[in-house]
Amino acid sequence: MAPAAPAVPTAAVKSGRDSNFKDKEKSGSVRNSNIVAAKAVADAVRTSLGPRGMDKMIQSGNGDVTITNDGATILNQMSVIHPTAKMLVELSKAQDIEAGDGTTTVVVIAGALLDAAQKLLVKGIHPTAISESFQRAASQAEVILQNMATPIDLANDELLVKLATTSLNSKVVSQHSWLLAPMAVNAVKKVLDDSRPDNVDLKSIKIIKKMGDTVEESEMIDGALIDQKTMGRGGPTRVEKAKIALIQFQLSAPKTDMENQVIISDYAQMDRALKEERQYLLDLCKQIKKSGCNVVLIQKSILRDAVSELSLHFLAKMKIMVVKDIERDDIEFYSNILGCRPVASPDHMVPESLGSADLVEEISTGGDGKVIKVTGIQSSGPAVSILLRGSNKLVLEEADRSLHDALCVIRCLVKKRFLLPGGGAPEMEVACRLREKANERGGAEQYCWRAFADALELVPYTLAENAGLSPIHTVTELRTQHANGHANFGVNVRKGFVTDMKEENVVQPLLVSYNAIKQAAECVRSILKIDDIV
Amino acid sequence: MAGAAESILALTGKRTTGQSIRSQNVTAAVAIANIVKSSLGPVGLDKMLVDDVGDVIITNDGATILKQLEVEHPAGKVLVELAQLQDEEVGDGTTSVVIVAAELLKLADELVKNKLHPTTVINGYRLACKESVKYLNENLSFPVEELGRQSLVNAAKTSMSSKIIGPDSDFFSEMVVEATELVKVTDSATGKITYPIKAINVLKAHGKSARESMLIKGYALNCTVACQGMPLHIKDAKIACLDFSLQKAKMHLGISVVVEDPAKLEAIRREEFDIVKRRIEKILAAGANVILTSGGIDDLCLKMFTEAGAMAVRRCKKADLKRIAKATGATLTCSLANLEGEETFEASQLGHADEVAQERISDDELILIRGPKSRTASSIILRGANDTMLDEMERSVHDSLCVVRRVLESGRLVAGGGAVEAALNVYLEAFATTLSSREQLAVAEFAQALLVIPKTLSSNAARDATDLVAKLRAFHHKAQQNNKLAHLKWAGLDLENGEVRDNKECGVLEPAMSKVKSIKFATEAAITILRIDDLIKLDKEEPRGGDECGM
Repeated sequence: MAPAAPAVPTAAVKSGRDSNFKDKEKSGSVRNSNIVAAKAVADAVRTSLGPRGMDKMIQSGNGDVTITNDGATILNQMSVIHPTAKMLVELSKAQDIEAGDGTTTVVVIAGALLDAAQKLLVKGIHPTAISESFQRAASQAEVILQNMATPIDLANDELLVKLATTSLNSKVVSQHSWLLAPMAVNAVKKVLDDSRPDNVDLKSIKIIKKMGDTVEESEMIDGALIDQKTMGRGGPTRVEKAKIALIQFQLSAPKTDMENQVIISDYAQMDRALKEERQYLLDLCKQIKKSGCNVVLIQKSILRDAVSELSLHFLAKMKIMVVKDIERDDIEFYSNILGCRPVASPDHMVPESLGSADLVEEISTGGDGKVIKVTGIQSSGPAVSILLRGSNKLVLEEADRSLHDALCVIRCLVKKRFLLPGGGAPEMEVACRLREKANERGGAEQYCWRAFADALELVPYTLAENAGLSPIHTVTELRTQHANGHANFGVNVRKGFVTDMKEENVVQPLLVSYNAIKQAAECVRSILKIDDIV
Repeated sequence: MAGAAESILALTGKRTTGQSIRSQNVTAAVAIANIVKSSLGPVGLDKMLVDDVGDVIITNDGATILKQLEVEHPAGKVLVELAQLQDEEVGDGTTSVVIVAAELLKLADELVKNKLHPTTVINGYRLACKESVKYLNENLSFPVEELGRQSLVNAAKTSMSSKIIGPDSDFFSEMVVEATELVKVTDSATGKITYPIKAINVLKAHGKSARESMLIKGYALNCTVACQGMPLHIKDAKIACLDFSLQKAKMHLGISVVVEDPAKLEAIRREEFDIVKRRIEKILAAGANVILTSGGIDDLCLKMFTEAGAMAVRRCKKADLKRIAKATGATLTCSLANLEGEETFEASQLGHADEVAQERISDDELILIRGPKSRTASSIILRGANDTMLDEMERSVHDSLCVVRRVLESGRLVAGGGAVEAALNVYLEAFATTLSSREQLAVAEFAQALLVIPKTLSSNAARDATDLVAKLRAFHHKAQQNNKLAHLKWAGLDLENGEVRDNKECGVLEPAMSKVKSIKFATEAAITILRIDDLIKLDKEEPRGGDECGM
């Protein structure tokens, strides 16, 4: 969204000069069409909000089908054309990157704000005034959110699990949240870096998806998972007391450069050429063996074969397990988790660069699927692996996305250690307080603040609507409760009426709502400022 | 609203929302189920599938039928995947899982049309699924030991009964059970017993009748000896399994042979041959008299083997070699190189078998390895009148093998013939009345959906479905009401006579695991489809269009 904003005004100015024959209504209609397009996007994802939200099935041009509930994914797949609609897609992406969760909420809020802005425009309030009031309202909302938030201690596992559960509740895998939520919490806690206490690198949580079984069979491995097979050739598939080496050189015969050729002119040399190759590979393998290593992970190689038949044969004979095709991007992860140093040259194969683990084992995941499991790692860095199972590809992918969301939620908490009640409570609370504050303002701003407050109520409204409740009844009830000072009340979709969400353990991190309101307001402002499309 | 949004949203595609998409998905799913419906059960009929090249498949197996169909609709694809999943996980019950899933969807759609929110239906289904799996495990299954080996045979027979080999099920079920028992593997580390049925090599040979199929206690290899002069029969065989070619040595890329003197040419040629000759000598010196290789063997090398009186087989499949190596205790060798940089072949790398022989079966010749030393192995040679029939027999045998393995591994059985479904139906209906929320309706519909199995079974058998199912339910109601009549819970359909009988007694058995998984999978698939309220179909991307909508 940020890059879109500065580009727009300049374009608008330039074209304004060129197209002097256009009538004055142009800017109004452009704004209107922008708002309508953006609202359409928001409407499209609205039904997927909340624990009772529905899924979308998206069939892409080449026939691939995605079934998802995740706002960012839906918008990403939808390939909208309208430029302002694209801004909303970007908005949801930004939320995905920043908070990881609440991607639907942010779009719904933006849509509601645009709707409000449209009404204000009709009333004759200048777009700039609306835009500026919205900004002030948003910053006021932040203060309100901050006030109603309760600090949280990261040691409180139980609470963290509840948080992850709230995030998982709207997904297909919600019935497995008892399993996935603690998994997400443990995973994030494991990778928590003491030196950087307010951020978590989610890249050090490796999720490996394997078809087969049901989601219940998913597990977090206290160790590493490698999505590869062992190379076989009689080599071991199970190594106890493993010494693991991560190598970045190839175990195959060196190729001469294209122009160079080895010329043989005598039959005795033929035998030597063969022998030389054997000897070369044998030396490499021996060097590996000498360092005490018994599991070799080989980085994927583009230039030449990572391993040749012959070297595999040697390694198998030496009882060394070989895993090849480790992606270049994963090298850092594995070296981190296994506690080993990547070795770029055979000369650097020293015992110190090896990681050690109690057991390295190839396990079958049904069908042809196999993964390599490393457990009991000594001196393991902050990294974990999660093996995700699912009965079909669609469920599996959705489980992956949901788990990612849950991980992000926990990460949000690490970033900002405050909690809010869920179920639309924060939005309602902000709406109520803003309405009160609005009275202190004068002029158009009062109108704008009220409109802003009304727009936020769309979140609880939609929650109720998606759950099959009467939205008007629920929202008015909720408003009453908040007016009476019950700030933690929200829509309880399970029971079907308004209750204290904290007691129901429906909680969410502050950062998600905080970001959602802030980013939605900013996005709406930049849309409002556009008065011409060229 | 939807129509307006569509135009404003300016998608490069079509969007359908709300009830219409739900109905559309359900219709697609039901259409898929209708295709396979008539193939369910012992008296189910087969389908003939002709693909665009003209290949014909005649089958009764749900997964195979669906795999061949080119399903366009995304919801239909979910069902096809479901059948394939069941096929991979259990191997049997692929038709029933699709039928149940479609029925669940159909009834859910009705509920939604009657203004029950889809999420309520989903919750109800989940609850019902959990309850039924619990009830099935606690009350409707029994351990294999209760009936002994006969139960294995019966389970295999039940699985075959619907297939083309149904009439010969006595014969085949014995064969299948024996074959499975022969490949039993005990993991030395964990003590876990597994039955890798992939290790059972099923070969098809044209000719004779199905009853002439045979089980070989050993390994049947679909290859012939490389040269006529070789012995066709070797007793006390020492087998070398090689994973490289015995051909004239070729130099690597980047090494070129430049000969200036014509006299040297001959020397180089000889050397090329000598390199491989030395290898063969090493293998023969180790005592090998049967050489199996995945690569090729040169004519020159064949001569050496013939002279030594050894049997050499080329171009064996690698998977076959791996299994043979395991069974005979040989090491699959991919290079002769040893750790000193030289080439050697040791006697310890050889496998042993009582007998290796090439035998003629119909037009083809097969190599049979009998009595492997380190582990028992089994192969099945199927005989049949034509190819399509043989293919179907292979699929049927595969299904039965899966069933037997599941029974052996999980050790629990349930009665077949719609017994489980009827019992669960009666139980869930009683359970539904204990719920006071809206989920009650969904649970009751779940119960109703399960009845589709006995209903389809009886209508496929040209019996009065309503009548039979009512009788069946009455039996199960009695069994669940009255503890003294608990034995009635094994009541299932007898489709030949159109009666209800005790299916446990009559040996119509299925592995419990298959039933549990099929209920779970069907529910999961139905829920996946039910949760969808929006379908966005994007147009095919223009070939390298200018804008960046390609995602």
